[in-house]
Amino acid sequence: MIQVSELHFSTEDGVKVLEDIHLRVDQGELMVIVGPAASGKSLLLGLLGAQIGPQRGQILVHGRNVARLGPNKMLSLRRRIGIYPQGFVPLPRTVHDNVMFKLRALGNYREQAEEKVLYALETTGLIRQQGVDALELSSIDRVRLGITLAICHDPLLLLIDEPFEGLAEEEKAEVARLLCRMNTGHLTILVASRGSVPPGLEAFRRIRLVDGTVKGA
Amino acid sequence: MPMFLFRELLGSIRAKSATFFLFGGLLLFLFLASIACFFMISPGSVARSTEGQPIEEIRVFLSPRLSSATIDQWFLDWRERDDIAALRFQFAQEFDDSASGGLFVVTPTDPEMAASLASEFRGVDGVIDVVEIPRELAIKTPSVSLIVRITLLIILVSTVSASLFCFRRGFHELLSSFSGEIRMLRLSGIAERVVILLVVALGVLMGLLAGLLLVAGLYLFHRLALSHVVAFSLFGGLLNGLRILSAGMTILALGTLLGGLSGLLGASLLHGRDFDPLP
Repeated sequence: MIQVSELHFSTEDGVKVLEDIHLRVDQGELMVIVGPAASGKSLLLGLLGAQIGPQRGQILVHGRNVARLGPNKMLSLRRRIGIYPQGFVPLPRTVHDNVMFKLRALGNYREQAEEKVLYALETTGLIRQQGVDALELSSIDRVRLGITLAICHDPLLLLIDEPFEGLAEEEKAEVARLLCRMNTGHLTILVASRGSVPPGLEAFRRIRLVDGTVKGA
Repeated sequence: MPMFLFRELLGSIRAKSATFFLFGGLLLFLFLASIACFFMISPGSVARSTEGQPIEEIRVFLSPRLSSATIDQWFLDWRERDDIAALRFQFAQEFDDSASGGLFVVTPTDPEMAASLASEFRGVDGVIDVVEIPRELAIKTPSVSLIVRITLLIILVSTVSASLFCFRRGFHELLSSFSGEIRMLRLSGIAERVVILLVVALGVLMGLLAGLLLVAGLYLFHRLALSHVVAFSLFGGLLNGLRILSAGMTILALGTLLGGLSGLLGASLLHGRDFDPLP
């Protein structure tokens, strides 16, 4: 599913952000990447999500080498990946319209998109808040909305960056439970977190990223 | 999908961006109107006429068989004459490559007497041709003064620059309120060219609208000018349907081009950090 080998990444100033990363994630697996701030977690997710072009090393996602993909294949790969970005901010419209916008933008017809919106909101438990202004949502519901947006187009890979940020302990556990519920079937999930891993996710494989290198699996 | 996104982009126009777009459109309209003025103003022309004008000079073409001594003598004799103000010798090739020999260019003292002088030269043995050159007179038809032309030119430059500036500011405001959507589009794998196309299309639409409004105005003025010919004498072009058509086409093309250019200016803002999908 995902295979990373000898991955290096440096900033324009030559500061090494990722160094010799080797990683393998199987299809349907849920894996947690932990590490302190600025350890390279978000960058790693950006590289895996084909949002950032790799400099050195190999990244295979769905059997495709990200570094060698042409622009069109890169876009098609991005469409098979769902991303929850760090510090997610929803669009200033209702919960329903947030998800609808993404699905319509991806080329779904209104009826088709409507169906997918309801299914995704049902999955994340946001169906009752679908008419609420997304900017007025509570922190946990914002996370739910971000995850809804990431999964609404039925991706094969879900990359979630700092979903527990600013949440209370019970809310973190609830988000963890939601991720566990989604970890059925073909969906591969990678969660990056700087803090401690909530109880629901402790059973899953974890890697520790410190100063751009994997310290332990 | 592009139509859906275009509607969404239009829906993101807020009061501030709308104000800038309105000003930009107005200035573009003014720019196009100035261009239209160039088309419509009766062209001031300068015609040159020699008809009925006094003779300025007489060209006396000499036979190539004449000896240089004869030519020298004629030169010395003619130069002394009171009815000749100036005399110079030139080679005939200077006027015509295929000609040979030489010629005297004679400036008569009194242009009124030039005709008799010319006929006298015609009678001289060794003169093969005499050509009388009348004075050229520039006839100016009424035209727009230079000041008006320069003013129009200044208006053109200032309106087009101000219009592009307003459009850019408008796009800046619009894209700021649409930045969340753009981030989401980029995150979802929507091609960058789609986003750029949306912005350029909006610019083209605004340019086209400004052009169409002006074309409609031109047509109305054309109808008005046909019924009030005298009142529109300065704008003679308004009476000419073909000129209206060509002006209309030019205005539409220019409007579209400048609208597209402003769209491209707007699209150049998309490189900002605000639109990066990842923090």
